[in-house]
Amino acid sequence: MTKLPRVVRKTAAVVSAVALSAPLLASGATAAGASTLRPAAQTTTLQVWTMETASSFTQLLQGFTKETGIKVQVEQVPWANVNDKLTTAVASGNGPDVVEVGLSELPSFVAAGALLNLKPYLKANPVLQDNHYLAAVSSKVTSPRGEDLSVPWVSDVRILFYRSDILKQAGISAPPKTWAQLFQDATKLAQRGTNQYGFYIPQWDSALPVELTWQAGGQVTGPNGKVTFNSAAFRAAVNFYTSFYKDKLVPTASDFDQTQGFISGAAPMLISGPYLAASINSEAPDLKGKWDVAPLPKDKDGTSLFAGSNMGIWYKSKNVAASLKLLDYLAKPSTQLQWFKLADELPTNTSALDAPSLISDPMVRVYVDQLRNAEPLPLAPQWNQISTDLLNSLNSIVLDGANEQATLSKLNTTVASLQH
Amino acid sequence: MSTSTIEAIAPSAPAVVTEGRPAEGPRPRRRRRVSLTPYLFISPTLICLVAFGVLPIAVAAVVSLTNMNISGLGNLANVHFIGLSNYRSLFSDPAFWESLRNTGLYVVVGVPSIIVGSLTIAIALNQSQSRFFRALRAFYFLPAITAIVAISLIWGYLYNDQFGLLNYLLSLVHVPPVEWLTSSLVAKFSVAFVAIWRASGLDIVIFLAGLQAIPADYYEAASIDGAGQLRQVFSITLPLLRFAIFFVLVTTLISWMQLFDEPYVLTAGGPVHATTSISLYIYQQGFSYNEFGFASAASMVLFAMIAVVTAVQLRARKRGASDNL
Repeated sequence: MTKLPRVVRKTAAVVSAVALSAPLLASGATAAGASTLRPAAQTTTLQVWTMETASSFTQLLQGFTKETGIKVQVEQVPWANVNDKLTTAVASGNGPDVVEVGLSELPSFVAAGALLNLKPYLKANPVLQDNHYLAAVSSKVTSPRGEDLSVPWVSDVRILFYRSDILKQAGISAPPKTWAQLFQDATKLAQRGTNQYGFYIPQWDSALPVELTWQAGGQVTGPNGKVTFNSAAFRAAVNFYTSFYKDKLVPTASDFDQTQGFISGAAPMLISGPYLAASINSEAPDLKGKWDVAPLPKDKDGTSLFAGSNMGIWYKSKNVAASLKLLDYLAKPSTQLQWFKLADELPTNTSALDAPSLISDPMVRVYVDQLRNAEPLPLAPQWNQISTDLLNSLNSIVLDGANEQATLSKLNTTVASLQH
Repeated sequence: MSTSTIEAIAPSAPAVVTEGRPAEGPRPRRRRRVSLTPYLFISPTLICLVAFGVLPIAVAAVVSLTNMNISGLGNLANVHFIGLSNYRSLFSDPAFWESLRNTGLYVVVGVPSIIVGSLTIAIALNQSQSRFFRALRAFYFLPAITAIVAISLIWGYLYNDQFGLLNYLLSLVHVPPVEWLTSSLVAKFSVAFVAIWRASGLDIVIFLAGLQAIPADYYEAASIDGAGQLRQVFSITLPLLRFAIFFVLVTTLISWMQLFDEPYVLTAGGPVHATTSISLYIYQQGFSYNEFGFASAASMVLFAMIAVVTAVQLRARKRGASDNL
């Protein structure tokens, strides 16, 4: 009896997706259907959509196929195309079995109803239960309405990168531990000459003002889960953020390249993730020993951003049992440690995070310690828009000299109306 | 015409009328059979136009009255008609007005530059058929066939504040660095320039084709009459290129009202909306924020604007043509 409405629903969704792209360009509509035709074979083949490099991920899953006899077909989805892929898959109904979801994309997947509720299966698959993971990404945080829609997979965190050689030349013996020290050191470092800065603020990064709010002892979400920017802590964060621009301690060009800036020494301190360490090592291997990482400087706290991605099962998957086996396999500490070796991505399973093989590296030690004091960005479906508005407001204050009071109150009105 | 008139009056008209004119009986029937043939010929185009042109626009018009978003896409039960609320919030969104202003600026700067620029280059290229000039023609066409991603990479590097070639060249003559893509005013023109550079190749080819269709006798006659180079351009070349110029004007105007690629790849619409065009605004609302209903409302507005502009142009063209005939 659900047949007719379903067909109607499908066509309506497809037609509206086509209609949207028609007045624009055809580029938005990428054909997702072709690759997802599932053969009715006896041996199960799981379709997996991931943002990881397909070749390494396939390599990781060889052990899984050996163990279970389940074949896995990996499709790599570039981060930039995740949303297109999601909308076409939801509109057409053709999706994978298992899908990797970045925390930033999670609200869209949840709003689309694209993920299967795993709650009924948790008893039989204990490794997927919350107590194996960091509290920052427990199902309470990542799934609204008491469901369990995804399981943590890899983690990523922001830490302070600093050029120890340049700091030493400026008479700074240790990386800053507090906001005050960060500002002081940045001031000192900016005095090195023209085009030499003390710190770097990425104008595209909405995480930084949020981290600063957490560090000032506040939140950007109210008790009802809605995003608000009117706490005293947020004002403190904005003051701190804008002070770097007021004293000309950071570059104003939006296309300032953070990797080049760090390697050249123009920006000898900045906040970024482990991926920056990888690009420094590959682009400037001889810089080794002249830079290091440290926990984020504290105000009241030193909370950082928890980024990373989760794994979920597509709501229309016909291979739920096999998909659960795959989730179990990916959740195992040994798999997550193998993945760190293959792809340099940090685990989410707490026993993997404690593994001596992982934290014997002093830099990884800093990442792992910081992970324990990190939170994800608000998982609100409108966060994409809100974060754009937040950045536009901050940038117009620091770059165009817009009135701070007026801009922030306008921001709060917009943010409230987006979540009405 | 006569068929439709008869059909129109037939229901209300008393039978006496038809009886009074028996000779007209068979004529409409034959006419109707004949008039079916042209429709048959255009039906493939017509079907495609309806399926891929009219229908999507109609659906977008309907969607623009709903709160369609990602959760509505997943479950149609979440979709509700909300009347003109999308249009109201669209018109009260300062970012929408800014994108309209930017698009206006792009059109005002871009369209005349392209027409004057590519016409001038085409006339210059038409001066000679030598191998060098033919190579130049290929050279001017290159931007049109280069992938936009490659273009954005190269221009991104040229424009870069820190290590860009343009600022390096400026530094050689002791000019302070220009914030090509990061100053909200300069960025508009930087983006427009790349779009002009990229779009002119095709128009140059169209103008060249038009130029080569002008018989050489006219120029010979004109020079015998003592007309100079400039006089010949204004009195022979331009009037005879009327059709090419009109075609380029219409297509360029429409494509600049829909400008998308260059701001998307060069600046992503920034800094702070400064280079966001109306198409990019729609794209961001629809495909980044998944606000399909809102984005449909914005695209209906763009559709209406383009329809009006095109209608005005066609009108003007028709009037111009009948004046000349």
